[in-house]
Amino acid sequence: MKMRVLGAFAIVATLVSTAAAHHSGAGFNSDKVMELTGTIKEFQFTNPHTWIQLIVEDEKGAKVEWSLEWGAPNQLGRQGIRPSTFPPGAKVTMRLRPMLNGAPAGAFVGAKFPDGKTVGRWE
Amino acid sequence: MRSARRTIAFVLAFGVWLTPSPAFAQNTPPALRAYDTLPDWSGAWAMVGGTVFDRATQTGEGGAVTQGVRSHPPYNAEWEAIYKSHLDRRDKNLFPDTISNCGVPAGFPRHFNLPDPYEFVVRPEQVWVLTENGPNVLRIYTDGRKHLADQWETYTGDSVGHWEGDTLVFTTVALKGHRDKDVILDRTGLVLSDKSRATTRIRKTDANTIEVQMTIEDPKALTKPWVVTKQFRKLPADTRLYDYGCAENNRNPADIETGKTLVLGPDGKPLNK
Repeated sequence: MKMRVLGAFAIVATLVSTAAAHHSGAGFNSDKVMELTGTIKEFQFTNPHTWIQLIVEDEKGAKVEWSLEWGAPNQLGRQGIRPSTFPPGAKVTMRLRPMLNGAPAGAFVGAKFPDGKTVGRWE
Repeated sequence: MRSARRTIAFVLAFGVWLTPSPAFAQNTPPALRAYDTLPDWSGAWAMVGGTVFDRATQTGEGGAVTQGVRSHPPYNAEWEAIYKSHLDRRDKNLFPDTISNCGVPAGFPRHFNLPDPYEFVVRPEQVWVLTENGPNVLRIYTDGRKHLADQWETYTGDSVGHWEGDTLVFTTVALKGHRDKDVILDRTGLVLSDKSRATTRIRKTDANTIEVQMTIEDPKALTKPWVVTKQFRKLPADTRLYDYGCAENNRNPADIETGKTLVLGPDGKPLNK
């Protein structure tokens, strides 16, 4: 599993404001960002928040399903994001703020596809 | 022929029944303001700033991270202690946002403290403030009616008002506040009591700004009126609003036993129980 902690990271204002609408965002580590490379299983373009399901291989080769929470579909839709933005089966590298307890989930920060196309915050 | 007579008799009787009594006729509401003289608040709008009233309370695991208006209600000692207890639980991620479990309105005044677009629909007899988030509807009657003397308390209460030039002025009463523990003003646990009421002034300060100033009174919780001003900026003309189906895929419910906000995995089981 390709996993790298990037350290302290500026909060993505739009991401947080959408998450803030519904719940506290508690449980995610706001002080670090990690990187995962895997295959998209599903992009749940649903209320109140969208979720990206990503299949990642761990060190032993086992497939682990990660859940990445993103903003409200309405807000993202107005910014040009669509259900097709993350097509099932696509390879992608994602940055997220992981859960504090190590569970395979986190808050989505950004994504980069093999062709260089990025989504969200990727600098 | 007999059938025709019966029909005529029925029509006459029904007509008499429908005719307003003199007493009813005397209660005719005052003339409504003509539609084309009302201010233009059309379009989609978004609240400026974050959804936390007091930024100084942004601490702990469950702390807010968005910018907000620093405004702390002038609580009396009893309600300051209540708020403090909410902040303590929030810092431990044990104070869930009441709307996280879906199905309850944001209530007043949180109605003017939400993310996502707003619409201000101005009609002669009513003004509707619609929020995509929720969704929520605030109806403000401007047809001359008064608050009911025996109005029961609800999340959003009862609002009646009038126009002062192009400023809408209205009072909101019959709010249940924190009585049933299912209304908060923001997710830090800011609350008001079931004795709260408000006088609100809404006006357009320039082509792209609507200002909402609420003067909130609460003899049970506050030592003096609390004045809160929120601004809303106009969104691009082609902005669309959509469904907000909170229950569609809510993976952040509150744990019933502890109040902890959960994160559900793809199998529906909590990842942070």
